[in-house]
Amino acid sequence: MDITVPLLGEVEEVTLVRWLVQVGQEVQAGEAVAEVEADKAVFVIEAPAAGRLAEALVPEGGRVRPGEAIGRLEGT
Amino acid sequence: MKEVAHVALGRAPYRPVWELQRRLAALRRQGHIPDLLLSLEHEPVITVGRQGGAGHVLAPQEVLDRLKVEVVEVERGGDVTYHGPGQLILYPILDLRDHGRDLRRYVASLEEVMIRTAARFGVEAHRRPGFPGIWQGLKKLGSVGVHVRGWVTMHGLALNVDLQPNLFSLIVPCGLHGVEAVSLAQLAGRPIPMEEARAAALEVFSQVFSVRLTPLDREALERWGT
Repeated sequence: MDITVPLLGEVEEVTLVRWLVQVGQEVQAGEAVAEVEADKAVFVIEAPAAGRLAEALVPEGGRVRPGEAIGRLEGT
Repeated sequence: MKEVAHVALGRAPYRPVWELQRRLAALRRQGHIPDLLLSLEHEPVITVGRQGGAGHVLAPQEVLDRLKVEVVEVERGGDVTYHGPGQLILYPILDLRDHGRDLRRYVASLEEVMIRTAARFGVEAHRRPGFPGIWQGLKKLGSVGVHVRGWVTMHGLALNVDLQPNLFSLIVPCGLHGVEAVSLAQLAGRPIPMEEARAAALEVFSQVFSVRLTPLDREALERWGT
């Protein structure tokens, strides 16, 4: 399952400022997994389901558009 | 009209209010409390946001120690900033799903609150594309820095009303070299009492967000916050 940046309104692009979990780490549904920032506003990305972070698709400092995936979760 | 409970915290050190905000934001996310607005001034403090580098703090540690100015790394957006007496802080704890669900518009609304508040004192301030906050030329009059989780906001805006003392010299404001902090009082050319600025900003806030502010006493807030 993909972890995506939600639609944030008029925001066209955000910077992934930090991953809060490491690849391989297990997360609970709703757990904070990453922070993105646009216009001095940090938005916390939460895990859409429980699972293990299988892959980080965007590195810290990378740019991403709302609606796009930043990582992939594998079921446990 | 939507209601937002307003709590005046007076002058407060940074960390306890930061912790209070985090507890309140969590309670707001769980739907246990209504939308809130905290208004206050901080004791002198330097905070470093998620885009910040410690290199943007210019003053050596012994100077910071002597002035009793702590450097705190926080989860808001933006770089380094200074808060202190004479600066009006507004921390809205809002569920943005009830206020347009738009991160950019929220930041723009906080800027609008500061622009219209400045206008009440005859001071014309503006936005600078790509550099959030409010400005007069290259001088920065007010800052925004926001944290949102589950669409609930914390942190907010800081408007320089009449800085006493002005310790922005300890840092590179926003990490932008050449930026000078300026206050409403300097630009208006007269002293501006904090109470006057606060009353104006609260009135403007309720207009910009189309809400009615209802006063809430601090004790009720602290009962929620613990």
